[in-house]
Amino acid sequence: MNHSPSAVQSSTGTVLRRIGLGGITGSPVAFAIALGIMALLLAVPATHNDYFQIVFRNILMYAAMAYGWNVIGGYTGYVSFGQVAFFGLGGYCSAVLSANGVDNLFADVALACVVNVAFAIVIGIPVLRLKGHYFAIATLGIALAITDIVANLDALGGSSGLAVHHVDEAHFYIYYYAMWLVALGSMLGTYAIARSKLGYAFVAIRENEDAAAVLGIGQTRYKVIAWAISGMMAGAAGAVFAPANGFLDPSIAFSVDSNVFPIVMAILGGVGSVAGPFIGSLILTGTNELLQRYFISIHTLFFGAMIVLVVLLLPRGLVWLFGLKGGARAWLKALTAYKA
Amino acid sequence: MSATADPLAPGAVAMRIANVGMRFGGLWALSEVSFDVERGSVVGLIGPNGSGKTTLMNVISGVYKPSTGEVTYAGKRIADVPTHEVCHLGIARTFQVVKPFASLTVRENVAVGAMYGRNGAKRSTRASFERAQELLEFVGLARVAERPASDLTIPDRKRLEVAKALALDPDVLLLDEVMAGLNAAEVDEALDLLRAVNGRGVTLIVVEHLMKAIVSISTTIVVLAEGKKIAQGAPSEVLASPQVIEAYLGSRWLKRQEQLKQIESQRAEAERVQPPEATQQPLDPPQHPPEATP
Amino acid sequence: MQLLAQDLVNGILAGGILAVVALGFSLVWGIMNIINLAHGAFIMLGAYLTYQLFQSFHVDPFLSLPISFVALFVLGYLIQRSLINWVARAPILTTFLLTFGLSLLLVNIAEIVWTGDRRGITTVYTGVSFTALGVTVPWVKLWTLLVALAITAAMQIWLTRTKTGRAIRATSMDIGAAQLSGVRTPQIYAIVYGLSAGLAGVAGTLIALSYALTPTMGDPFLIKAFVVCVLGGLGSVEGALIGGLVYGIVEAFATQLDFTIGTQHISGSGLQDAIALIVLLIVLIVRPTGIVGKATA
Repeated sequence: MNHSPSAVQSSTGTVLRRIGLGGITGSPVAFAIALGIMALLLAVPATHNDYFQIVFRNILMYAAMAYGWNVIGGYTGYVSFGQVAFFGLGGYCSAVLSANGVDNLFADVALACVVNVAFAIVIGIPVLRLKGHYFAIATLGIALAITDIVANLDALGGSSGLAVHHVDEAHFYIYYYAMWLVALGSMLGTYAIARSKLGYAFVAIRENEDAAAVLGIGQTRYKVIAWAISGMMAGAAGAVFAPANGFLDPSIAFSVDSNVFPIVMAILGGVGSVAGPFIGSLILTGTNELLQRYFISIHTLFFGAMIVLVVLLLPRGLVWLFGLKGGARAWLKALTAYKA
Repeated sequence: MSATADPLAPGAVAMRIANVGMRFGGLWALSEVSFDVERGSVVGLIGPNGSGKTTLMNVISGVYKPSTGEVTYAGKRIADVPTHEVCHLGIARTFQVVKPFASLTVRENVAVGAMYGRNGAKRSTRASFERAQELLEFVGLARVAERPASDLTIPDRKRLEVAKALALDPDVLLLDEVMAGLNAAEVDEALDLLRAVNGRGVTLIVVEHLMKAIVSISTTIVVLAEGKKIAQGAPSEVLASPQVIEAYLGSRWLKRQEQLKQIESQRAEAERVQPPEATQQPLDPPQHPPEATP
Repeated sequence: MQLLAQDLVNGILAGGILAVVALGFSLVWGIMNIINLAHGAFIMLGAYLTYQLFQSFHVDPFLSLPISFVALFVLGYLIQRSLINWVARAPILTTFLLTFGLSLLLVNIAEIVWTGDRRGITTVYTGVSFTALGVTVPWVKLWTLLVALAITAAMQIWLTRTKTGRAIRATSMDIGAAQLSGVRTPQIYAIVYGLSAGLAGVAGTLIALSYALTPTMGDPFLIKAFVVCVLGGLGSVEGALIGGLVYGIVEAFATQLDFTIGTQHISGSGLQDAIALIVLLIVLIVRPTGIVGKATA
C-alpha cells in the first residue's frame, strides 16, 4: 500500500505542542492590541488624506477576508483556496443592485450575505466531503471556474465588467467606515465563535473529524456552517469594495491576489486565532501598499519572497510566537520539526 | 423485534443483538451473533485474536452497518442512525487507538463531548466545562486538566477516552481494549474506575484480552470464535466450558490435557496397587475438571 | 462526423503534453505528498529557455529538449534541497503556500527578464500539417505526441529498472522500510522534485512549439494536471498517460460547445477551467481512485 499521508506529514497538534499552546482564541494581549489599533483607525478619514484612506480601507478589507479564511481554514482545518469566489460574488451583488437602481450599502451587504450563504450550502455539501489536498484543489477549481463563468455571463457584464455607482468625493468616507464595520464584525464574530460551542466544534473537526462525529458533531452540518460564515465575511468585504472601486470585472473580482493574500495574512498573523488575521493584514497589506507606491515592478516578487519566508520561519504565525515557551531555542526546534 | 419493555428498568433488555453478520468481500467476519444486553450489567466480550470482537463493537456502535441482522437499542435500529447521532441514543464508546484532540487541553477535550453529546443541546459553554471538570475528577485527571491532551501518558489517555465517552451521558458504554498497554497496578485502577462507572448505572460492554480483568468485572461473558458466538453465561461456567478452552488453546491442547489426566489417574491406580518402597504418599484428592488458565 | 474525428485527434495530440505535465506533478504528489503549485512555473521556464535558445543561438526546439530537462532538473533539485526540504513533512497548507510563493517568485522573475509580451517560436515547420482521412494533423503536434509517449515510456522503464527508480518507488510505498534499507530520504526527495521539474521543462519546450509564451502560461496547466492525476490515479505512469489522453479528448469536445440560451451565448472555449472543475468533481464523487485505479493519497 502506498505510504499514508500521516507518515509524511505531522499533525497540527504536534506542532502546537512544540509551541506550547492550546486554547482557541489565541493571545488575549494580541486581541487587545488589535482592538486598540482598530479604534485608532476610526480617525483616518479625519486626516483628509485620500491615499491613507485607501490604504487603510484595503487593510480592513483584506483583514475581513483573512478572517473569513481563518474560520474555514484556520479553525476548521479545511484549507480553502477558493475564498475569492465569495468576495467576487459579494462584489457582483453590489454591482447588480447598483445597475437596478439600488445604491444602499446595507442592502449590498445583506444580499451578499444571503447569496454567499446559499452558495456555501449548495456547493459546500458535495465539496466539503473532500479532504485535504482534494478539497484545496477543488476550491481552487471553484475560484477559477467562477471567473470563467462570470466572464461569459452577459447579464453580469461578461469580461468587460460592470460600472458600480458610488457617492461623490465628499462622502467617500462612508466606504471607509463601512469597511471598518465589516472588519470589526468579522473580528468580533470570530471572537464570539472561539468562545462558544461552535468554535469547539470547528476545532474538533480540524483535529480529528471522525472522533468529533462520535462525540455528536455532525460533520456536514458544521463544515457547511463554517464555510457559510467564511463566505459572509468575504462577501461583505466584496460588497463594500465594489462601489468603492466604482467598477468590477471578473479579473478584479476574482483576482489571484485576493484569493491567496488573505491566507498568507492569516498565517503570518496566527492561524486559528482571533487577532491573527488583522495583524497579518496590517503588516502585509501595509507593506504591499508601500511597495506598490515605490517599487511597483517588484511587488509581486516581494510577495512571493514574503510568502516563502513566512511559511518557513513562522509556522503558526506571530500570535502564537508571542506565547512561545522557551524562546529562541523552541522556535528553532519548531522550524526543523518538519524536515524530511 | 424491538425491545418493547422499558429499557430503563434494571434487568430489562437494554440492547438486543440479533443474528448479526458482517461480511467483508468474501469473508464473513461475523455470523449469526445474537445476545441480549441487560441494563446495568457488565458484558465481557472475549475471544481469540481475529474472532470478530472489534468488528462486533463497530457494528454495535454504528461504525459498520451489519450485512445481516440488526442491533436495536431502545427500540431503534442502530444501523439506521447516522454516526453523529449514535451518542444521542445513549451509546458511547472508546477506541483502541486513542487519538485525542491534540491541540486542546484535557478539559476542553471532555467539554466537547459535554457540548455535543446527549444532553449537550441544553448545556451552555460554561456548563459544559463544569461538567467536564466533574468528570475529570471522577476519572482522576483533574491534576492535568489544563495540559494539552497530546502531553498525556498512555494510562491518562485511556482515562481521557473514558471521560470523553462519559461526557456523552451514555446508558451503554463500549470499551474496546481499554486496558491494553497498562501494567498490573494500572489495570487494577482501571477496573476500579469501570466498577465506579457501572455503579452509576451505565451498562458496560467490555472487550479485553486480559482474562483476569474480564472475569473480575463481568456479570456475563460472551465468547466469540471465528465470527460466531460459541458461549454465553456467567464467567465461571463459560471459562470452564470445553468449547471455550478449545477455541483459545486448540483441540490438540484439549486432547493432550485429557491424555495427561488419563495417564495421571493410571499412575495413581498403579501406585495404589503397588505402593512405592520408601515413604508412603497419601493419594491425591480426586481431580476436578481443569480450570481454564489461558 | 468529420468534426468529431478532428476533435478526437486534437484531443489526443493535446493529451500527450498533458500526460507529460501530469507525470511530473504526479511523482511529487504521490511520493512526497506535496501538491507543487510551482509546477506551472517550471513549465513556463522550460518554454522560455527553449525560446531563448532559439532566438539567440538558433537551436531547434526539439534539440533543446534535453537541455530543458537538465536545466530544470538542476533547478528543481536545488530548490528542493534548499527550501522545500525544510517543510517536507508539514501539513498541506504549508507546502501549498510555499510552492505558491515560489511560483510567484519565478513568474515575476520571468516577467522582469522577458516582459509580459506574448512571444512565440516560428520554425520552418511551424504550421505545416498533413491531412489523412479528412483529419488535419499539424506535423509539430504529431511529433510532440510521439516525444511525449517516448518520455512516458522512458520514465516507466527508469522507475522500474534502475536502482534509483526502485528506491523512489520503495519510498512511496513504505518510507520506514525504505529508510531501513538504506534509502536516504532527503536525497530521494530532491531527485524526485528535480525529475518533476525536468519533466515540466520538457513539457514547456513541447508547448512552446505550438503555443504562445507568456509568464503566466503555466497556470492553466496546474489544475489540469491535478485533474489528470485524479483521473489516472496517483503514482502511476500509465495512469498519467491514460488520464492525460482522456482529459485531452474531453476538453477537445467540450471546448467545441457553442450554443445560445435566450440572449446568453455559451462557448466552451472560454470555460476551460470550469470544464476542468466539473470533470474533477465528477471523478472525485463517482470514482475517487481514478480510471486506472491505484491507491490515492
